[in-house]
Amino acid sequence: MFKKRIKKETVGLLFALPALIYMCALVVYPIISNIILSFQEVTVKTFSLPQKPFVGLDNYIEMFQDPVLLTAIKNTLIFTVCCIAFQFLIGFAMALLFSKKFTASQPVRGLLMMPWMIPITVTALMFKFMFGSNVGIINQALMAVGLIGEPVEWLTTSGTAMFALIVTNVWIGIPFNMILISTGLSTIPKELYESASVDGANRITTFFHITLPLLRPTIESVLILGFIYTFKVFDLVYVMTGGGPVNTTQMLSTLSYKESFEMFNYSKGAAVANILFVILLLVSILYLKATYKEED
Amino acid sequence: MDEKKLTGKKNIEYFIIAIVLLAILLFPLYWTIVTSLKTEQEIFRIPPTLIPEVLNTDSYMAQIGTGDFNMFRSFGNSFLIAGSAMIISVILAVPASYSLARYRFKGKKLVLLVFLITQMLPVSVLLTPMFIIYKNLHILNNPLSAILADATIGIPFSVLILKNYFASIPGEMEEAATIDGCNRFTAFLRILLPIAKPGVIVCAVFSFLYAWGDLAYGMTFIQNQELRPITAGIFNFMGQYGTKWSYLTAFAVVTILPVALIFIFMQKYIISGLTNGAVKG
Repeated sequence: MFKKRIKKETVGLLFALPALIYMCALVVYPIISNIILSFQEVTVKTFSLPQKPFVGLDNYIEMFQDPVLLTAIKNTLIFTVCCIAFQFLIGFAMALLFSKKFTASQPVRGLLMMPWMIPITVTALMFKFMFGSNVGIINQALMAVGLIGEPVEWLTTSGTAMFALIVTNVWIGIPFNMILISTGLSTIPKELYESASVDGANRITTFFHITLPLLRPTIESVLILGFIYTFKVFDLVYVMTGGGPVNTTQMLSTLSYKESFEMFNYSKGAAVANILFVILLLVSILYLKATYKEED
Repeated sequence: MDEKKLTGKKNIEYFIIAIVLLAILLFPLYWTIVTSLKTEQEIFRIPPTLIPEVLNTDSYMAQIGTGDFNMFRSFGNSFLIAGSAMIISVILAVPASYSLARYRFKGKKLVLLVFLITQMLPVSVLLTPMFIIYKNLHILNNPLSAILADATIGIPFSVLILKNYFASIPGEMEEAATIDGCNRFTAFLRILLPIAKPGVIVCAVFSFLYAWGDLAYGMTFIQNQELRPITAGIFNFMGQYGTKWSYLTAFAVVTILPVALIFIFMQKYIISGLTNGAVKG
């Protein structure tokens, strides 16, 4: 009897409250304290002081004067754009392949999801082994077909290290792109293709006039989500190259980690993380606006 | 697109292309498993052998019970961390998602926004402040530090997935239950929750897998090797014995094992979680 008298609105809020408190304590509060941290000077020396020195924008100014930050931004962008381009194109092609029903198409497509499920640390280990200079199967294979004369030090050479990271991340990202585009393809009404073939349209014109335009919302969300997931890459780079050689694969996330947990400049680490956060936040807002417009 | 099944030559062509793709894309996994069963000498042989000549299980046996890098202990640590993070995520996400799907209240949009934004958050933003908070709370080097952090990935994902599940259940179900004498809480427990069960499973699976795969939190908050999760164990091992590939790949296989089992038995939940979570996310 008592419960019925509680306003419906209160009940709703009550159900959501535990999760909300949890997220505020462990996500919202850390985000705010990360912002405050970036305006202070917290290092090993000042860590235990009750009053941390306030330094305003100094951490940001110092980081922007350090060429490594711009290198990290550039690297993160190159990595993200290359990964998205390849995983999207390969994923798209595979989604088209698996939109046909042939023998064992469903189980094979299911198995192809595997790379996406594996913990990134393990993926990084597997590819570090395969890209290894002495025993690496990639060097062995390339030498066997005569593409290279001697073993390449993939992960310790500038340029090739980034290439190896991109290959690995594309491997992880293909299933994600494939499955989302597959879902998008399955929502296109079959009748459209039937009437197009009655009208004498060939495969290529059907693709450009029916498939692509109708798939546009899916493509947009796959690309934006791909950007968000790839731009915040951390584990993969940290395990495979650690940002090296000489910062050629240093990303914003690894730079932030290095400042905080290797140099113990917690405030500078926080500042770099905030730069990463702002970029992702802008892209996320773009994404949310796009999806909500569709739903309205 | 085409719902009809392919037949004849077309069918065989597509089948062969698909199998070749599968072989190429799953080769790294095959290679890792095979390497873990080779002897150290065979791993360094040129040209490499595609199938181990002698099956060697030493890499696994040597890491049971002994050594600094006892992978079965790290496995247990990961299980505790991922299992607890999963339980927290599901218990908190179920009522929250129900409320977001069914009730109107002030600030609902803001609540939804918090979940949406946190799903896109990079770990880097939380690592440093969490480290400092945990240090002050004296829970660094305690599994709790990783558990609490890992659940922050599972909760928003689960809330957003389950919200759609609850929204798709017709409201008459609840009304009927109320007439039969249920109040809101019992109606939720007895009627809605069983219907939303597949969604709850998707959330449990993903919350577990996110936590199982985490490296950053486990490695940063837990420095004590005996308490570290298996991913951090691998990372440590790589740093110290970087070329002992037989042990490393065995470590990798053991880490993949639960993922592979979940994958085999719960594939439909995984695909549904991936598509619903990402597209609607």
